[in-house]
Amino acid sequence: MDDLVKLVRTYRFSSGLDDRGRVGEQIIRAVASDLHLFVFTKVAPSGADDVFQETLKGIATGLRTFRGGTDGEFWAWCYRVARHKLADHFRKQAGDRLITTTPDDLQEMMDLSAQLNPVTPSVKHDLDYGMHLLTQSKPECKEFLWNHFVFGLDYAEIAEDKGMTYDNVRMKIGRCLEEVKTLVSRYG
Amino acid sequence: MAEISQKEQLALHEFSVRYRAAYAASHPLNDLHLETFQDAVRSDWEKEQQANRGLEISGPEISGPEIGPSSPEKEPEPEEPGA
Repeated sequence: MDDLVKLVRTYRFSSGLDDRGRVGEQIIRAVASDLHLFVFTKVAPSGADDVFQETLKGIATGLRTFRGGTDGEFWAWCYRVARHKLADHFRKQAGDRLITTTPDDLQEMMDLSAQLNPVTPSVKHDLDYGMHLLTQSKPECKEFLWNHFVFGLDYAEIAEDKGMTYDNVRMKIGRCLEEVKTLVSRYG
Repeated sequence: MAEISQKEQLALHEFSVRYRAAYAASHPLNDLHLETFQDAVRSDWEKEQQANRGLEISGPEISGPEIGPSSPEKEPEPEEPGA
């Protein structure tokens, strides 16, 4: 059994509040930063913290009833909670969507990453290429590429989120990537 | 549609792993967020205790033969939007 889902199972079978709090903290520390990134790249800073806190509450409330068996299922469930909280927020404040993450933001994170874990020239080449693919894509493609390649949402999850079919999402992501590949190779 | 080439997948995967690790290092869970989470855990636990006490009080009535077994495999969806 995967590590994260083992913790969730331990949480479910803990009857005391202290145990729940201790195990719950381990779980939320494991997922919080990815969910923070997910929320803060999708909503303007003024509303992002509220959405993130609602996401944390939703996870705390639902942990006891989660019945998945793998880490992947748990991650998918966490992102589903976050997406629902984002949808709630956008229903109230439709204009609060975040436009994009700037290339400078990405470069700052890559510089920090290189300090944390030095990069070889070949990895550096891959990282630069990946960053170009994400930053030079068309605006309507950016969210698809981020959701699939950075956050790891699968086609079905994106389809549910966007109200599209699985095949349309698969084709959209393929087309977006082909287009940006061409742009990157043409303009460097 | 052409399949997504391995070169792009590799580059995006490498970028994603590093980006998320750097983001995690620069955005650790803060005390306020942890407190929000723990408050919700406590609130959920209290609701559960209340429900259990209710079950104990009315136990014989609800454990009668006409009540089917609970379905532990049923995974409730996260709260619905707008709930």
